[in-house]
Amino acid sequence: MNLARLSPGEKGRITAIGAIGPMRRRLMDMGLLPGEEVRVEKVAPLGDPIEVRIRSYHLSLRKKEAEGIAVEVTP
Amino acid sequence: MSAAPKLSPVSAEHPGAARSITIAVAGNPNSGKSTLINAIAGSRLHVGNWPGVTVEKKEAAFEHEGRRLRLVDLPGTYSLSPYSQEEIVARDYLAHERPDVIVNVVDATNLERNLYLTVQLLELGIPVVMALNVYDEAQAKGHRIDVRGIEARLGVRVVPTSATRKQGLEELLGAVVATADRSHVRTIAPLSYGPDLDGATAGVARALEERHPELTARLPARWLALKLVEGDARVLEETGLERDALVAAPLAHLVAAHGDDVEAIVAEARYGLAAGLTREVLERPSLQKTELTERIDRVVLNRFLGIPIFLAAMWLVFKLTFDLSAPFGDWIDAMTSGPFKRWAAVLLGAIGAPGWTVSLVNDGVIAGVGFVLVFVPVIFAMMFFITFLEGSGYMARAAFVMDKAMHAMGLHGKSFIPMVLGFGCNVPGVYATRTLESGRDRILTALLIPLMSCGARLPVYVLFVGVFFPQRPGTVIWSLYVIGIALAITMGVVFKKTLFRGEAPAFIMELPPYRMPSLRSLCLHTWEKGKHFLTKAGTYILAVSVIVWFMLNLPWGVEHKKDSYLGKAGQVMAPALAPLGFGTWEAASSLITGVIAKEIVVGTMSEIYAPKPAHEEQAPTFAEDLREIGTSFVGAGREALSNVVSTAGLSSISIDKADEAPSPLKDAVRGAFTPLTALGFMVFVLLYMPCVVVAIAMRQEFGGWKWFGVAFAYQTALAWGMALLVYQGGRLLGLGA
Repeated sequence: MNLARLSPGEKGRITAIGAIGPMRRRLMDMGLLPGEEVRVEKVAPLGDPIEVRIRSYHLSLRKKEAEGIAVEVTP
Repeated sequence: MSAAPKLSPVSAEHPGAARSITIAVAGNPNSGKSTLINAIAGSRLHVGNWPGVTVEKKEAAFEHEGRRLRLVDLPGTYSLSPYSQEEIVARDYLAHERPDVIVNVVDATNLERNLYLTVQLLELGIPVVMALNVYDEAQAKGHRIDVRGIEARLGVRVVPTSATRKQGLEELLGAVVATADRSHVRTIAPLSYGPDLDGATAGVARALEERHPELTARLPARWLALKLVEGDARVLEETGLERDALVAAPLAHLVAAHGDDVEAIVAEARYGLAAGLTREVLERPSLQKTELTERIDRVVLNRFLGIPIFLAAMWLVFKLTFDLSAPFGDWIDAMTSGPFKRWAAVLLGAIGAPGWTVSLVNDGVIAGVGFVLVFVPVIFAMMFFITFLEGSGYMARAAFVMDKAMHAMGLHGKSFIPMVLGFGCNVPGVYATRTLESGRDRILTALLIPLMSCGARLPVYVLFVGVFFPQRPGTVIWSLYVIGIALAITMGVVFKKTLFRGEAPAFIMELPPYRMPSLRSLCLHTWEKGKHFLTKAGTYILAVSVIVWFMLNLPWGVEHKKDSYLGKAGQVMAPALAPLGFGTWEAASSLITGVIAKEIVVGTMSEIYAPKPAHEEQAPTFAEDLREIGTSFVGAGREALSNVVSTAGLSSISIDKADEAPSPLKDAVRGAFTPLTALGFMVFVLLYMPCVVVAIAMRQEFGGWKWFGVAFAYQTALAWGMALLVYQGGRLLGLGA
């Protein structure tokens, strides 16, 4: 399961960050780290990017990046 | 607080005064950092660029209770890892310049992520003072923050501030001075990242101190060690250290216990500290009401309403920018072309200057100054609204809504706004690319902006359409706009696959809470930008204007325009334009002067095709001129207001300008062009090189002429090719020669 496949309102716990290099670094700097809970808030009107809530703030990222973030769905 | 507006670097000029204090201000984007800096330093801020990069640098030097303070604003960053240019600038400054104190601006409503940067700042071993900003908003939300608790845990002074309400600023500066004065006192031990990571870092630090004492004398060993542990590419590059040789042994235990993803281990340790501290010091109301931001976003980012709302917002910004500024631009234009020229003529006449100097001053210098000044209202208006969009938080939403469409062209969601502004005038569009984070996106967007048909091209279209296509002027002009947009999309894709090949920067963007930017901050920012344009761009434009005057009037005493240098240049260029159907020296010369601003094509044509006989008119008196300037300014203000109020649409794109074109010009154009060559000429004017002001804006934004060169080359090629297609294609279709 990855972050891009969650629907708005669904939550997941990050299990791994698949990206590499500076992108991976950026995702981690923004607080996307294994063990952290993330909630999908919205999908943009054109279907991409998505908005997520992590560490009590709102972040948007493209689905391509979100696909690289493995999650397990949490209730 | 005595505030001397002295901008020169502070040195120990006054032997009696205590040591001056250099303060670096660091913080996350959207933490209210620039508002805080504006509130502290205001008009004393000096804006420039960091050396070698186009990242804005703000500095201020002033006195506070008898001490000299030097404030350096670092770019807003989420981290000190070398991801973006901003982060590298911030980090290099801190590591190499070692300011006396870092003021860390922290958004009190978003503690955890902000503290992640704080943790990294503390690693540097430079004394830190925390400005717990937006504190009033956090309180209003019912957040209770244990300020003393943060101080105790981090060993730094923490001052709650509200930049918009100007609260806590004196206390903050007091804490900075106090911290600077006792900088040698260590209040608490360094933060612990857990025993395994601490152990590994200490091991690397020891190895560094033994083997590279010259490095650890310059940079803190522990910081360097941590950077080596996490494999920071820039530190490795700068120091030339071999990571493996230094870290292999100390890291063995850490890797055995936690796995070999050391980069993630370090990031987790930092966030762990930030999260732990947040849990300890922050108390949130148990029942959280839905925040205002979320309620607004439900509408603004709604599946169906998102795009209409965005388009409406764009329309409003465009309308306000150009409608508000156009009357003032016209007023400045009228002033410089009327009274100023008359006064100059009178003055020069009075001191007995020769006739040609009057022409040089009026048609070269004053016309050039006029050109610069005419842009001022639009730049100020645009900067004001763009700053508002950014400061309020809507810009990020606009990018979110538009990103998918723009990404297809290799652009970023935020590219849309500069391109829309380009339809009014390309210059503010180019300046607006600053809102994009990555250099690649900025440049690519700016390269495509000149394809947006700006207001200055309209007079040319109107002249030709009026002569050759009077039955359907709207359709022809509309199709020119569409050609520009279609080519922008095409070129976007082409650039994406050629010059800008490779991965487009990721779109990982915070959606900050909506906030009302302070008027003071908005005005300061607008003023900085306007001033920047005036001083930097002004000089070049003036120079070009004077050069063109000389080209038109030299060699000395030239009778016919054909024999002037401009005419000769036109004759040289004409054969290249022959395949396009308008290979005459007149057309070529007009295109040359059009590089100042495309509307000048019409002016030059009128001078070449239909020279005005010199005629004497009753000149108004000085007093009449002054009165006229005053009343027309009031009139401009009234017009700006009524423009905004009226729903009549985009009155700034007014067609009346070209109606002023004298009919002798129309007759001459009718004789010199055919409908087909006229169409080709309009396409050429739409596409050929960006005007001088755009060129200067590009140089200012991207340093050097390289990217303007690229724009010049591809646009000229595009213009030539498209005009060729129109003319030769039209002939093949039998549409007349």
